[in-house]
Amino acid sequence: MNSLLQRLVTLWALLGGALVVVIVLVTAVNVGAFTLDFSLKPFGIYVPALPGYEDFVRLAISAAGLSFFPYCQMKRGHVAVDLFVQALPSWLRTVLDHLWLALTAVLAAFLGYWMFIGMLETQSDGTMTAVLGWHEWPWYIPGIISMGLWALTALWQVFGGESHG
Amino acid sequence: MGEMELIGVGGLAVLFLLLILRMPVGLAMLVVGIGGTFVLSQFASYVRFGPYMKQFKSLLWGNMANYDLSVVPLFVFMGFLASQANLSRDLFRGMSAVMGRFRGGVAMSAIGACAGFGAVCGSSLATASTMGRVALPELQKMNYSPRLATGTLAAGGTLGILIPPSVALVIYAVIVEASIIEMFRAAIIPGLIAVIFFISVIAILVRINPSLAPTTQTMTREERKDALLRLIPVLVIFGSIILGLGIGLFTPTPAAGVGVFAIMVYGFGLRFFGQEGLTFPGLKTALLETAKTSGMIYFILFGAEVLKGFFTRANLPSTMAEWAGTSGLDPFVVLAIMLIIFVILGCFMDSLAMILVVVPFFWPVMVDLNGGDYATAASSVFGMDTEDLKIWFGILALIVVELGLITPPVGLNVFIINALAKDIPMSETFRGVVPFFLVEVVRVAVIMAFPALVLFLPTMLS
Repeated sequence: MNSLLQRLVTLWALLGGALVVVIVLVTAVNVGAFTLDFSLKPFGIYVPALPGYEDFVRLAISAAGLSFFPYCQMKRGHVAVDLFVQALPSWLRTVLDHLWLALTAVLAAFLGYWMFIGMLETQSDGTMTAVLGWHEWPWYIPGIISMGLWALTALWQVFGGESHG
Repeated sequence: MGEMELIGVGGLAVLFLLLILRMPVGLAMLVVGIGGTFVLSQFASYVRFGPYMKQFKSLLWGNMANYDLSVVPLFVFMGFLASQANLSRDLFRGMSAVMGRFRGGVAMSAIGACAGFGAVCGSSLATASTMGRVALPELQKMNYSPRLATGTLAAGGTLGILIPPSVALVIYAVIVEASIIEMFRAAIIPGLIAVIFFISVIAILVRINPSLAPTTQTMTREERKDALLRLIPVLVIFGSIILGLGIGLFTPTPAAGVGVFAIMVYGFGLRFFGQEGLTFPGLKTALLETAKTSGMIYFILFGAEVLKGFFTRANLPSTMAEWAGTSGLDPFVVLAIMLIIFVILGCFMDSLAMILVVVPFFWPVMVDLNGGDYATAASSVFGMDTEDLKIWFGILALIVVELGLITPPVGLNVFIINALAKDIPMSETFRGVVPFFLVEVVRVAVIMAFPALVLFLPTMLS
């Protein structure tokens, strides 16, 4: 189970990373089109940039960014101030650590729940992006999955699971 | 101070308590933001907790689906990719080919390479860690004093936060609603001043005590030629990003996207031609490191958004600004106090979290001190309008945030370099950064005295 969760979280983060790579490629095409347009305009040739580029980046980055949360949790990447607790006894540090992990799990579930409600509302409102005209609600789904994975990862760490690598 | 403000101050105290108890920064911000708003709702009829909770339907998603902030993971990715594609090593070797023949030249090259790497990496910690791995073995091999070697790298790493493009600059710009491009332009001259100051420190130290850098680098003609040849594409990639941003050819997101694309093409290209370049496992590592760092940054950003809402409802920033305005203290003294607070907090707090927690308090104070939102350059206290004030204050704040990274007892950059040089006592590294710390204080004073150093490029290029 632990190994499965770890693999799932890593794969999920890599999918988010793949979206970042897609953003990079789309950006390169867009900038290329701008450059061509700028260069060829004097000759009466117009090269259009990608319509709705910003819409796409906005949607894609929302999915990518949220997919990073569970991996960051798995790697204990969320920053905390270490300095002061070093003086505390180790059992107290463990208690505090578990408390914060449990709170993180609750919070992730809370955010996932509200995001789910938000998705239903956005769906019923029919909210669309300004230029591309894409529905926004499906882009909530990666976020909801991310919150679920984040909560599971934090819970797994409460019960003694540690990150690999 | 009224009831609401007292609740706000109480919230601030709880926040620091939770941070001291090692609660993750983003989580502490969220807990205080939500909990504090609940307490406020018990005392003020205008704060209703039920409707407040409903904002979470779209708050997180809306925060993430932000075009301006899309630049954060892209810049983070660019830094890790450059490291995986060995661009950091090429940069350092190329700089060494230019400066290595001088006494202390390899340490100076490390500063130059840190500045160059800072141009593709928005994080000081990543700059220190990457360049530390590349340059420290070389400095040790050449018998540089451990104090000078580690001090140079810890201080050099701080260049990453200011040399554009910088994640911290993006986040500051978003908080105070400044132009990200103008912030980048403004940071160029202060960043170059830091490079000159740091290199001067090394030159002076080795002149006073030549045993700190006993040998100079000897490269064969072939090695030098190879190092310089490999430096050219690195400088072209790094330079085009800075230049493109500087002259307004790109906005930050396209600049980051094009930078990543160029590094990928170059890195895979090297590999294709049988040289050490980017591999698919390297790409995977860069993506996962990006996920870890960006996840951390986004969580803090979201926490700060929730916390800001609570403090604003408690009228805390405006009360603080009002208090500073009527305190009778000289505005420059208030500014100096704020900068000192940054340095003190920087000793134990993450730089990004500090910017997100503290700037929303200090910025209204600065505006109030300067004469209000509509102050003109002629009528204002600091001699500049609000837009220029945003830029000048941001650069000053970021420089002192950098100082926190090399200030005891925490000084995160020092810890990172020390982890790479386990045989060197931490105290040696802290002693090593002292001269750099002192010139940083001089830099702050110079920029406070001559705001034109910051405002010249944004004014000229806009």
